[in-house]
Amino acid sequence: MSEEFKHEQVRSRNEPFAQKTASQIWHETPAVDNPYIAASSHCYGYDLHELMHKRSYVDVIFLLFRGELPSAAQAELLQQLMIALINPGPRHAATRAAMNVGVGKTDPLHILPIATAVYAGEYSGAKEVEMSMTFIEANCERDVAVVVQENFIDTDAVERTGFGVRHGGIELRAVQLAQQLQQLDGAGNALAWGNRLAAALTPMKKNWLITSVAAAVLLDLGFSTRVGASFFQLLGAPGLLAHGLEMAGKPILAMPFVSDENYIVER
Amino acid sequence: MTHSTYSNPEIIDYLDQRRGKIFSNTGGWFPGKGVFSHGYSMLEELVGEKTYFQVLILNATGKLVDRPLADWVEALYGCLSWPDPRIWCNQIGALSGAVRTSVMSATAMGALAADSRIYGVLPLLESVAFIQQALIKKQQGMNAGQIVDEAFAECKASKPYIMGYRRPIAKGDERLEVMEKVGKKLGFGIGEHMLLAYEIEKTLLEKIDEGMNINGYMSAFLADQGFSPQETYQMFSMLVASGVTACYLDTYRRPPDTFLPLRCDDIDYQGPPRRAVPDVK
Repeated sequence: MSEEFKHEQVRSRNEPFAQKTASQIWHETPAVDNPYIAASSHCYGYDLHELMHKRSYVDVIFLLFRGELPSAAQAELLQQLMIALINPGPRHAATRAAMNVGVGKTDPLHILPIATAVYAGEYSGAKEVEMSMTFIEANCERDVAVVVQENFIDTDAVERTGFGVRHGGIELRAVQLAQQLQQLDGAGNALAWGNRLAAALTPMKKNWLITSVAAAVLLDLGFSTRVGASFFQLLGAPGLLAHGLEMAGKPILAMPFVSDENYIVER
Repeated sequence: MTHSTYSNPEIIDYLDQRRGKIFSNTGGWFPGKGVFSHGYSMLEELVGEKTYFQVLILNATGKLVDRPLADWVEALYGCLSWPDPRIWCNQIGALSGAVRTSVMSATAMGALAADSRIYGVLPLLESVAFIQQALIKKQQGMNAGQIVDEAFAECKASKPYIMGYRRPIAKGDERLEVMEKVGKKLGFGIGEHMLLAYEIEKTLLEKIDEGMNINGYMSAFLADQGFSPQETYQMFSMLVASGVTACYLDTYRRPPDTFLPLRCDDIDYQGPPRRAVPDVK
């Protein structure tokens, strides 16, 4: 290499890395005779055993991600959302990935990481929730008519907004879910605005999708975009795992294998 | 409450036609007939005839490249396979070994961790796009200094930077000269993108004391070879895997709990003080 392109000498930046990892979430108090063994664990200041005794799983999962226990209205909204999202269903790509792991006799302990990774997708997955949360957050104080004009005329905005169609039609379950959750005391501005947007989109044969309903509810529960999208990934995990495990107990012939006649190479 | 999906019947018909069928632009295995990838018979034309990295690039981009380019990419993989568990993706391997996760899980998950905004493979999307756009600007009359000034003006970070010309932990990159030697040995010259990358590096060293890193180097090299940002990203999806495996093995062979052991108070708790759990109202 000529002198002109001589590179700099490699040297450390000596960046000020933290001496210890800090956390606001969890505090482990060491045993008196072994600093590596925890005698008690506290989540945002609450003793774990006291939480077990007094609060629900939904309350504690809210605490873990939001830093405070939920109000009764928030807990009810989150519990209904968690049930709604508990299973992406056997036709979702992430669930089918889980089933492939199971029926393929891969170690069932790999079902969850594999399936949740697929559930991160930009289409009907966690990334779509992230984009939908960003879209709703940026627009939920604005007139829906203007937003429709800007985002839904002559464009397919599904992946960016979380509103639109799946398989060529309106996702009925999403519409029903939004209407059901809207009745709860914990529902807030994002869900109400989303319902107004969905109404404005109905003449265009577009509406809520599951991802946008999740996005709106997570915003109403105070989740940031980053946390909300990852949380959506977590909420679908039980169904993904259940379907994968169901197939793990079956022979490899239990799922279709496309015949050569139906395998078409387009070249 | 609506019960109609207002569906487009043409889309339902289109989906129906594809039920139970797979359509592939790539290839596949037809028992008794062969295995095909992008029009090549894998067992007759590729296996034993082409290197693994020629096959990898073919599968990742659809392009069957000549041996020297595949060897260059292979050498590059070596540059990103360091067995140092301090690197974030590699530490996933080390932690997995420490708790006896399977080596495949460790390697796959560590490789996935390199899908990072600040290191690993994901930044290639931005850095290849940058150098391609920069060359267009140069061809339109801008010099390296002006290209850098424009990139800094568009950068939203508090300390302006250009992807491919800054690196965590260290300044400079010892892999550049190695890959320059590899390139020369394999018969590659300096293309237009690479020439501009060197000019940008020179400008950045003068302006902010930051040089090119391996990401910037490989982006310019592969842009000269005609690859798009997405093709480059696809080509390197498992780039760090081998280093992760190496880090896994080191801790797998040691007693559990001995990799960077943490006392309870080694975690600096900064949350709320202890408080009583309120009863549900």
